[in-house]
Amino acid sequence: MTRQQITIDGRDELTDALGISRSDVGERPTLSELRRTVETETDPEFASMGEAIRDDMSGALDADLLASELAAFEEQIARLSEVRDAGIPEGAEEPEALYREIVQPAWRLYDHLVEAGFFESLEERLPRFTPEHIEQTAHELVRLDALSEELDGLGFDEREKTVLVMNVVNNNTRLARWVPTKEIPSDVEFDVEHVPPLHKRAMGGALLWVNSMDVHLWQKEVLVTEEILDDGYWDVKAMLAGVDLIARAALDVAEDGPMSDSQLVAALTGGAAIAIVNQEEICKDVYWITEEKRNPSPAR
Amino acid sequence: MAIEEDRAVKAAQDTVVRETDQGYRVLGSPEESVTHQHDTDRIPRRDITEEDIIDSADDPESWLTYGGNYEQHRCTTADVITPETVGDLELEYELHVGAESSMEGTPLVVPGDPPVMYQSNGPNHVKAIDTRAGDVLWSYTYAVPSDVVLCCDDNNRGVAVLGDKVYMTTLDSGVVALNRYTGEEEWYTSTADHESGYSATWAPVVYDGKVLTGSAGGEYGVRGFHVALDAETGDEVWRTMTSPDEEWVGDSIEQSCATNWMTATIDTENDRLYMPVGNPGPDFDGSVRPGPNRNSAGTLCLDLETGEREWFHQESPHDVWDYDSAAPRLLIPDFEMEHRDFEGDAVVSFGKTAWGYTLDADTGKLLNRSEPGVQQLNMFRMIPHIDEGRRMPFMPGAMGGNDWQPPAYNPELGLAYFKMNNSPQEAWWRFEEYEEGKKYWGGILEDEIDQPPEGYNDHISAVGAVDPETGQLVWRDWIDSDAYIWGGLVTTESGVVFGGTQNGDVIAWDGETGDRLWEYSTGDTAISGSPMSWYDSETEKQYVAIQVGGSGWLRRGTAGRDDRLCVFSLGA
Repeated sequence: MTRQQITIDGRDELTDALGISRSDVGERPTLSELRRTVETETDPEFASMGEAIRDDMSGALDADLLASELAAFEEQIARLSEVRDAGIPEGAEEPEALYREIVQPAWRLYDHLVEAGFFESLEERLPRFTPEHIEQTAHELVRLDALSEELDGLGFDEREKTVLVMNVVNNNTRLARWVPTKEIPSDVEFDVEHVPPLHKRAMGGALLWVNSMDVHLWQKEVLVTEEILDDGYWDVKAMLAGVDLIARAALDVAEDGPMSDSQLVAALTGGAAIAIVNQEEICKDVYWITEEKRNPSPAR
Repeated sequence: MAIEEDRAVKAAQDTVVRETDQGYRVLGSPEESVTHQHDTDRIPRRDITEEDIIDSADDPESWLTYGGNYEQHRCTTADVITPETVGDLELEYELHVGAESSMEGTPLVVPGDPPVMYQSNGPNHVKAIDTRAGDVLWSYTYAVPSDVVLCCDDNNRGVAVLGDKVYMTTLDSGVVALNRYTGEEEWYTSTADHESGYSATWAPVVYDGKVLTGSAGGEYGVRGFHVALDAETGDEVWRTMTSPDEEWVGDSIEQSCATNWMTATIDTENDRLYMPVGNPGPDFDGSVRPGPNRNSAGTLCLDLETGEREWFHQESPHDVWDYDSAAPRLLIPDFEMEHRDFEGDAVVSFGKTAWGYTLDADTGKLLNRSEPGVQQLNMFRMIPHIDEGRRMPFMPGAMGGNDWQPPAYNPELGLAYFKMNNSPQEAWWRFEEYEEGKKYWGGILEDEIDQPPEGYNDHISAVGAVDPETGQLVWRDWIDSDAYIWGGLVTTESGVVFGGTQNGDVIAWDGETGDRLWEYSTGDTAISGSPMSWYDSETEKQYVAIQVGGSGWLRRGTAGRDDRLCVFSLGA
C-alpha cells in the first residue's frame, strides 16, 4: 500500500530497509535527516552498471534537447496545482487539454529516449526489481543531494519527499513483480518481442495515465468527487516526479553530469519505481470508481 | 425431404467441438462448405432494402437485423401479446435443427408469403425456414478449418440480410455471403488470420451498402479491429483498429486485444457506429500493458462512412478482471434527462461491471451510471500475483455482470432490460509468454472457488430493468441454478419481456413490474438463445421464437446440448 502520509509503520519499514536505527530519526523524518544517518558505502555493482550505461548511451543522447525539454517539463509540473484547482476540464464536445498540456514536453523526452534506444540499454544493463535492488536504490537515492533539490524544484515539501522514497521501499515486493524482459525464468524460452522494456513501461505508462486524465475526468464528471481529484493530484505529481528523475538521469548521461555512476543507477531505478508504484495507485484512487467512491446521483 | 437426409445438417452433426488446453477446437468439419436445398421455390423473391430494415423498427411483421432494429432495441411493435394476453401463449411447434451444438443465435424473419426465417447455430450452420409450416427450405454448413481456436465454444449468434443475400460470420474470422433464395455461396472474405487466434461468432450488420463486422480472439493476444466490407463483393472498404498506437506503450499494442466481438449499433441519422469492445490483452497481467489501456472494455464510436474514430467511453480502465463490455449498445434517439438538463441522443451500455451506462451519443460523455444490476463485492480491487499465495474472490466474476447477452429497451416504458450473472471468481496474474495463436491470459482464472466473498447472496443470476434516465434499478428477478445465465431478451412495445433461462424455462415478465406472467419449461437443458418476435398477417398470430440448447464458456455455461428451435404463438 502507498500512503500520502508518513505513518509510524511506514517510517519503520523505511528505516529498516535503510539499515538505520529508528531512534536516530524522528517520527516523520525528512530526506535530509535520513541522509545524515544512512551509511555512505556505495554498492560497487551499482557503479559498474552506471558506468556501462554511460559507455553505451553517452553519444546517442541529445543533451540540448533533453535539457530544454526537461526545463519545459519542470515548468509544466509547477503548474500542476493550477490544473488541480481547475478540477474537471471544460468543453462542450471534448475536454480542454489540461493534463495533456502538462505532459507534452515529457512525451518529447520519452520519444527521444525511445529513438535513442535508451530503454533497451537499461533493460540490458539493469537487474530486475528485487527487494534487495530496491533497498540499495533507496540507499543511493537518500544520499543523492541532487534528489532533494530536484524534488524541491518540482514543488515537493519535506513530507512529500520522504513519502515518495518510502512508497518505493515499502512496495519492493510489488515492484519485483514488474519483470524486465531479460529476467524471465531461465528454464523457458520466452518470446518477449512485444513486451516493452521495464523502464519504458514505467515512463510510458505514467505518461499514458496522466494523458488520459482529461478525458477520464470529463467523461466521468458525474461520478467524480473532490477526494478523487485530490488523490489524483498526488498520484500524478508522484508519477511525474518519477518521469522527471529518469529524464534527469538521461541528461546526466548525455552531458556527463555530476551524478556518480551508482547515483545514476539509483535515479533510473528510483524514477521507474516511483512511476510504477503510483501507476498502481492512480487506478485505485481515480480510475476505478466504485459505488462507494462515486459522487451520489441526484436522481436516486 | 426429412432433415435426416439433409447433407448440410449431416455435415454440422459430424463436426465436433473439443475443449483443449488452448480453448475449443472444431474437428470433423466438411472439407468444402455444403448447401442442401429442399424447397427453395417457396422463398418469395423480394430483395430486402435498407429502407425495409429501417422501417422494420415499426413493422410488426419483420425482424430484419440482429437487434430487431438498427438501434438494437429488441422491441417488437406486434401487439397481440400484451401483459393481459400472454398467459394464453402456446407452443406452435418445435423444430430440431439437427446440430446439437452452440445455440446462442437470434433468428431473423423476412416478411412475405410465407415469412422466411434465417436461423443459425454452431458450427456455422444456417437454415432458411418456412415459418408457417416449420419446414426447412435450404440449409448450409460452412467448412470450418480444424486449426481454429475458440475461447468459448463454436458460437454463432445470427445472420444479416440485405438484397438477395444472407451474411454470416465464420469461426475462422470471415464473412460468407449466401444467396438468400438458394443457400448457395456468393462470396467469402477473410477478415484476419485465424491461425493468429482471430475468430468471429456474432451477427454482422449491413447498412449503407456495407457489411460491418468486428473481431474476436481477446484471449489469444490479437489486436482488435472493426471492418466494413462491400455488401455486393465482400471487398474491404475500411478497417479501423480499436486501439490506436499512441494509447499503448511500444509493441504492447500488438497484443492489445480490445476486440469488438458483438454486433455494432447503427445510428442512421448521424452515420455512426456504436460498438462494444472487450478486454485488453493479456487479460490478467497489467504490468506488460501499463496505462489505462483506453479503447478497451467500453464503447467505441466510429464514423460509418470512413471508420474514423469519434469517441471512446471506458468502463474498466486497465482491466485485470476480464471485464469486457461486450453486449450490443442501445441507441435511444431524442432522449431527455431532466436532472442533467440533457436533451439529445443517448447510448446505453450494459457491461460486465454490472452497471448500465447512459452516454451522450455525440460525445461519449457519461450522463448517468445506474445502480448495479447484481452484486459488486471486492470489485475493482487488484487481483493478486500468483506468488502472493493470496486469494481474492471478486464479483462480478469474469463472465459479468452482463457479458454478451443482448439487452432490450422498451421506448414506451422507458426501461432497459438486462440479464446478468452474479457469481464470484478468482484470478491471479503472472508474466506469461506470448506465442501466436495460443492462449495469452497472463494469469489464471478460477471458476470454482472455496469461499465466496462476504455478503454473497447465493443467487447466481438475474433478469432486471433499469431506467436509463434515473439509473434506478426498477425491478430484478433472481434466477437460481447451478449454471450461468446466457442469451438475451426481447420486449414487446405492449410491455412483455421474454427470455430463456439456464434451467430450460422460457419466461414472460411484466416489463413494468417484473412479475412473471407466463412460463414454459422446454426441459432440463439450458436456453442460450436470444428470443425474437413477429406478427404474421396471414395467420393473424404473433410469434415468439427462441433457440434451446446450452453453449459457451466455463463448466457451468454449457448446461447440456440441445438442438431445438421453439416457436410460440398467440392468435389475435
